[in-house]
Amino acid sequence: MKTKITALLTILTVSLVSCTDVVDVEVQNGPERLVVEASLDWEKGTTGNVQTIRLRKSTPFFDTNTTTDVTGASIVVTNDISGASFVFADQNNGEYRTTNFQPRLGQSYSLRIEYNGEVYTAQETMTSVTDITNVFQGREDGFDDEVLEVNVVFTDPPEEGNNYMFKFQREGDLLPDLEVAEDEFVNGNEIEWWYEIDDDDEDLEPFEPGDVVGIELYGISRPYYDYIKILIEQLGGVGIFETTPVAVRGNCINETNPDNYAFGYFRLTEVVRTSYTFVED
Amino acid sequence: MNSKHQQVRAIKTTVWLLWAYFFGCALAMGQTSHTISGTITDKSNGETLFGASVFLVGTTIGGVTNEYGFYSITAPEGEYILNISYMGFNDVNLNINLNQDLKQDVEISEFSTELDEVVVTAEEPERAILRKPEMSVVKMNVGTIKQTPVVLGEVDVLKSLQLLPGVTNNGEGTGGFHVRGGAQDQNLVLLDEAIIYNTSHMFGFFSVFNADAIKDVKLYKGGIPARFGGRVSSVLDIRQKDGNSKNFALTGGIGVISSRLTAEGPVFGDKGSFLVAGRRSYVDLILAAAGEDNSVAFYDLNLKTNYSINRNNKLFLSGYFGRDAFDFAGIFENSYGNGSGNLRWNHIFNDRLFSNLSAIVSRYDYDLNFDQDDFEWVSSITNYNLKYDLKYYLSDGFSLDFGANGIYYDFDPGQVQPTSPDSPVNPLQLDQKRALESGVYINAEHKLTDRLTTQYGLRYSAFSRLGGQPITEYANGQPVVYNSTLGIYERGVALGETDFARSDAIETFGNFEPRVSLAYLLNEDSSIKAGFSRAAQYIHLLSNTSSVTPLDVWTPSGPFIEPQLSNQYALGYFRNFLNESYSLEVEAYYKNVDNRIDYIDGSELIGQNTIETEILNGEMRAYGLELLLRKNEGDLTGWIAYTLSKSEQRTPGGNAGGPGINNGDWYNTFFDRTHDISVSGSYRWNDQWSFGANLIFQTGRPVTFPNGQYEYEDLSIASYAPRNSDRLPAYHRVDVSATFKPRKYQNKRFKGEWVLSIYNLYHRKNAAAISFGQNVETGANEATRTAIFGIVPSLTYNFKF
Repeated sequence: MKTKITALLTILTVSLVSCTDVVDVEVQNGPERLVVEASLDWEKGTTGNVQTIRLRKSTPFFDTNTTTDVTGASIVVTNDISGASFVFADQNNGEYRTTNFQPRLGQSYSLRIEYNGEVYTAQETMTSVTDITNVFQGREDGFDDEVLEVNVVFTDPPEEGNNYMFKFQREGDLLPDLEVAEDEFVNGNEIEWWYEIDDDDEDLEPFEPGDVVGIELYGISRPYYDYIKILIEQLGGVGIFETTPVAVRGNCINETNPDNYAFGYFRLTEVVRTSYTFVED
Repeated sequence: MNSKHQQVRAIKTTVWLLWAYFFGCALAMGQTSHTISGTITDKSNGETLFGASVFLVGTTIGGVTNEYGFYSITAPEGEYILNISYMGFNDVNLNINLNQDLKQDVEISEFSTELDEVVVTAEEPERAILRKPEMSVVKMNVGTIKQTPVVLGEVDVLKSLQLLPGVTNNGEGTGGFHVRGGAQDQNLVLLDEAIIYNTSHMFGFFSVFNADAIKDVKLYKGGIPARFGGRVSSVLDIRQKDGNSKNFALTGGIGVISSRLTAEGPVFGDKGSFLVAGRRSYVDLILAAAGEDNSVAFYDLNLKTNYSINRNNKLFLSGYFGRDAFDFAGIFENSYGNGSGNLRWNHIFNDRLFSNLSAIVSRYDYDLNFDQDDFEWVSSITNYNLKYDLKYYLSDGFSLDFGANGIYYDFDPGQVQPTSPDSPVNPLQLDQKRALESGVYINAEHKLTDRLTTQYGLRYSAFSRLGGQPITEYANGQPVVYNSTLGIYERGVALGETDFARSDAIETFGNFEPRVSLAYLLNEDSSIKAGFSRAAQYIHLLSNTSSVTPLDVWTPSGPFIEPQLSNQYALGYFRNFLNESYSLEVEAYYKNVDNRIDYIDGSELIGQNTIETEILNGEMRAYGLELLLRKNEGDLTGWIAYTLSKSEQRTPGGNAGGPGINNGDWYNTFFDRTHDISVSGSYRWNDQWSFGANLIFQTGRPVTFPNGQYEYEDLSIASYAPRNSDRLPAYHRVDVSATFKPRKYQNKRFKGEWVLSIYNLYHRKNAAAISFGQNVETGANEATRTAIFGIVPSLTYNFKF
């Protein structure tokens, strides 16, 4: 709901605004950093044994040509309770993989990366997610009553403090959309979460019958919620009424040289995935 | 220092000292002197005139009228010529024989009775401005304001003020204003003494002040008189017209965005007058006609009436009510607005002692209705203010202002109400807060020699955060904790809550606020002035965005938020030349503000019950040089204003540990502007045609741009540079206007005029914001500029009947 209030302000101003255009702007160049995309996501109903971690480098903002894959690092993930450890093998393309990971909900894991003589570590708890109970299409919800939206229905568990991340991506679209939710105002309730592409968007068409949209619902920890929420808010830029953007710090610490911290996050989630095909209404 | 007992003692001591001083000064007067007093009014409509100069020719004895047009001057027995002058009005000279105390009310008339006369006033007529120690003050006549070309032809008090040195906005499409590098919530905005919490309609496109209902506007950028308190940066004192006490009159205007109508006239025989002014936008009607489901609208209503019981007692009742309403295709609705009312009693004890008692209420609230999700979000701030001010004209060289006030606040930061049984949202009430702010003050204006005049005063303010709510307790007393492992600030661990009874004070604060200024007359044409003022601010507007929004919430000082305290030093040089047709004002200032709150990365303020977990305590400083060159007379009038300034803030980690925000370094505030130039002029070509123009140039506002990117979750993530370390491109534009008064009306009671204005003549796309993101088709990063107004022509018809 908080997100909606921010969205409201943005819409109000955008509707009053007369024009936007793409311009050339000079920006500063910050330090190059290691980027850790250690997303160990356990899809419900699978073993979750195969997991991949990606390492890259950050680049100047407008840079498009640099190869950012990082190879030659060694990565180990350890279950803090059982002591079981999982070595992620270098695939020489920036990916590191294990095939024998054992996901355990509610248990804490540690990540250790050695790269270029520096050691990066992180710790995180694997978080469960509730099931999606229904997916349907409609037009009445959403900011625009005329375009199609998909509604995802799930029931928030009775205990407080559940946090969610959604990932929506229409087949054929280049970029996914991420959204987050918490249960602060809706604890224990059945929640209908809508997703639409409104027709104000110059580059994207709204959903049409025949479109297929991929839906992922992740159970995320509170620290990850705080982290990804800022990342999402800052996606697509920052307008007049949005919070001052920041260099978001994840949970990967550089033990050797703390100032040279890594971007990205070591997350462990449970995820449900589904898809929906729009039909004529 | 903040115990209740000590505070009471401090107040008692202050009051005692003030009275001792007061009687001491009264006894010091020796000579046989008499007093002449009265009220100065505009002959055409009976409006009292504030700041008119009353002066005994051939002496240096004189004064200016107060907010109610009252003056009192005391001089040794003798025969004098009493000169009354007011910019834009004909001087009046009266022979008086001051062999006893006299009462003399004077009506003066305007140079011309044209509608929208071009009147540019200094604080008051040039002769007096040099002598009076008051500095850093801007007074704007409604005539000047109406002459300024503005966007969509809507006459705007705040936009006109922004053409003067030291006053800026935060970009197009944003509300409010900034004074001398201060934040928006550091301005005390008063409409007939009532606090106005939000000064703009439609996100700053228009101000809430309907120029037809306003008599005068005075902005104290510094040197804030002791009678004002509660904000650390400035005071904007706006007075509504009393209403025409001579004739019934209608004034109105029809513009492209809105129309307005004002009716005024005498009531109660010749004992009083009234004014009712309304204004409404009709964008919503146009949108509806165009088949749009969305709608935006604003309206406001100004009311005023007064009644003279007798010569020494007068009552005033004034009110304001304004509102904005947005409807988004039935998905959500949003409305917000101010409302205020003030009942005043002017009482003249004798020809030297003037008093005013005011009982004021004001309120700001907003309402968000999410039709679709069946819930409503409301929030409000309400205050009740009782205020008693006196002015004692002791002698020719000495007058005293003194008084007291108390403000009771009710804060309702937010509540959520489901609007139907199937609403997915649970009800929620954020803790309501209450507080009492009070102040006593005394201020003397003291002419030490013919060349040196001083003004010195003291205000004592006290603030009690009242109980009736729980306060959260945190581990180690720290609502915010630095996580040194991750290098980020995090919310502290809540241990529990303490409930405070309504009769208990949760926390109390008290502050002495000295205010001193002096003017030294170098010669008949120039003077230098210096001033110091200290001010305390007990309530704070929470905003972690680059611009304040109408949905931001005020919060009182308390266990976790200290009052803001500012010290301001100013030095100025003032000169009139070429027969007083030109004037030059140069001022330098430095100010610092302690206890300015700043927001941790990722702070969440919406629906936040524990604000203390989102903020750190910091400080601000601002300094600058202001230059104003004006041409006051002739067919061409106007000014050139230039400000060179710096405004910064710094927030160390403090109790929370860690380096602080932005590494604890000083960084630019959102409203830092290195250069700010405004040129504003109007030219009267003949009786029918006059023209106006503005030229504005400002350094771009500080913003935060990315300094890198990386891939994550199949997206390009921008990583941002330190806060406000980049700038938008420079802002500049030119506006022009032409006013045509058809000849046929010129000698009739009905007067009309057409105003054609063009805003942003050369259609510069000034960036209001630049945002960075990925192109959805190519995936490449790009920068997108948002520009609010390109060229905007408009036509308005004004009439007066």
